[in-house]
Amino acid sequence: MSKTITEQNLRLLVDALLKEGGRVVAPKLAETMTLYEPLATGQELDLTKLPRRSSKETFFPLCETILTFERDEAGVRVGDVDPASFPETVLLGARPCDAAAPSILDAVFSWDYNDEFYLERRRKTTIIGLACTTADDACFCTAVGLSPADTRGSDLFLTPLEGGGYACQAVTDKGKELMEKQAQFFSDAGSEKPLAPAEPAGEPLDLGKIKSWLDGNFENPLWTKIADLCVGCGACAFLCPACHCFDISDEGTEAKGCRRKHWDACGFGKFTNHASGHNPRDVQPQRYRNRIMHKFKYYDDKFGRTLCTGCGRCIRWCPVGIDIAAILQQVEAKVEVE
Amino acid sequence: MCDHSKNIYKPHLATIEQIIDETHDIRTFRLVFQDEAVRESFSFRSGQFAEYSAFGAGEATFCIASSPTRQGQIECCFRAVGRVTEALRRLEVGDTIGVRGPYGNSFPIEQFYGKNLVFVAGGIALPPLRTLIWNCLDQREKFNDITIVYGARTEADLVYKHELKEWQERSDVNLVKTVDPGGDGPEWDGKVGFVPSILEAAAPASDNTIALVCGPPIMIKFTLPVLEKLGFTDEQIYTTLENRMKCGLGKCGRCNVGNVYVCKDGPVFTAGQVKAMPQEF
Repeated sequence: MSKTITEQNLRLLVDALLKEGGRVVAPKLAETMTLYEPLATGQELDLTKLPRRSSKETFFPLCETILTFERDEAGVRVGDVDPASFPETVLLGARPCDAAAPSILDAVFSWDYNDEFYLERRRKTTIIGLACTTADDACFCTAVGLSPADTRGSDLFLTPLEGGGYACQAVTDKGKELMEKQAQFFSDAGSEKPLAPAEPAGEPLDLGKIKSWLDGNFENPLWTKIADLCVGCGACAFLCPACHCFDISDEGTEAKGCRRKHWDACGFGKFTNHASGHNPRDVQPQRYRNRIMHKFKYYDDKFGRTLCTGCGRCIRWCPVGIDIAAILQQVEAKVEVE
Repeated sequence: MCDHSKNIYKPHLATIEQIIDETHDIRTFRLVFQDEAVRESFSFRSGQFAEYSAFGAGEATFCIASSPTRQGQIECCFRAVGRVTEALRRLEVGDTIGVRGPYGNSFPIEQFYGKNLVFVAGGIALPPLRTLIWNCLDQREKFNDITIVYGARTEADLVYKHELKEWQERSDVNLVKTVDPGGDGPEWDGKVGFVPSILEAAAPASDNTIALVCGPPIMIKFTLPVLEKLGFTDEQIYTTLENRMKCGLGKCGRCNVGNVYVCKDGPVFTAGQVKAMPQEF
């Protein structure tokens, strides 16, 4: 099913969804930067820029309470957080690199044990993706098998039209339902041409070839060379749509408090530190190696997917200029040589 | 087992029924689940671990140190070295702690039936083997010779002293206990020397034998060649890996050694499996 929607009607759609009591998370200008944030009105919608952070927080918040506890003479009482209380959400304007990420993360949050905090948010979220018509130097989605017009992960998909407004394609039944329910905002597709998709630089990488090099090169001088620069700030992991490592810690006192799950990063020095002081990854090259290995080998070994969508945020905002796309190119070139 | 349908991070509540000071900083908790249904349904296998919480401080990962043959309660054993374990140490008999688990794989005890067993442990690494030792002793007829080689720095650093005495007195267990040179007191009736050399001197036969090794990395490093010399193959040797964990459920992403998740694929591994991993643990 394919329709069109004007810019104005898209904002009115947001208002209608909000009026129904749902949550709409979409790019908006938050002070100095564009972020995916809950909107208060359709007027806040700003689809001009790729948001600074990924949209993973919609499903996997930076910090969330997973239980509460209270202790008195009678003992300890543990209170539950009910995922049923999470709001119905529309994630609007997710770029293909962000829209595709949850479908990759589903595997880790649902294998063997179901993390209902993540999964219930997933079930309650409809993703309206948005094609990219511009790319910057850091974008590399095409190198890792995605594209600026990729509909993977989206329920509905918007493509900007030459004369303004968007073509809207229903990708899943969930998307089709939303479109049918909010039919008054959509028009039948006319003859208007879509804007050409962006063309990120860089040839598609041979991820299989890269993985086969990683399979045999846990020990390699490359790791030290790359990670000599890394300051272990963790920005790459926090901005990444696919990084999902987390910590669990208590807040409050032993009398009353809560337990929280919050983002962590394998680049941090203490990430693997044992209580005894022994640290299996006690220098930065080991940590950076884990980051690359997890994304392009370990996750693939376990779930058959690459843990990267090429959004380029880790390149764009790395304080020391580490470029993961360039590293992958180097690795690919090594395979050619070896 | 945990209720998998809802909050996988929510622990069962357990009451500390007994506290045993094993050494000056190592403590055993005997725990009884507060919920009767959990008390009846909680089952685990030797080798599995749990997340224990001191509410307000957080969770820490230890093995379940008691044997599944002893129903109705579980035990854990920990050294007070960090924020959570210090908070656990402040708790008293009657206090409540959280227990999430059991997690991870376990010793394939059924495969050990009819075999000789050699347990080799150092320091605080006896608890992960002690669950299996009692498991075997409680069904003694299923196993052949049982040898336990256990060492610590000094006599005072040995854990489960009361049980060492019991094993020493049993005619169906061969206990070889040792302390590092200089670690013995006037009453010491065991050996003096490092675990690998004492094991070498004890020279258990490798034929139809399984070796179970737990200890600090340095002890394991020097024990494996001794076992090899005695004729043990990599598949006859089992050990457990300990890594920092948070979720215990294969999600939080920190306990991996290469593509192996210690919390899911382990903590029990054969020497062959450990050798095949990237050496990053």
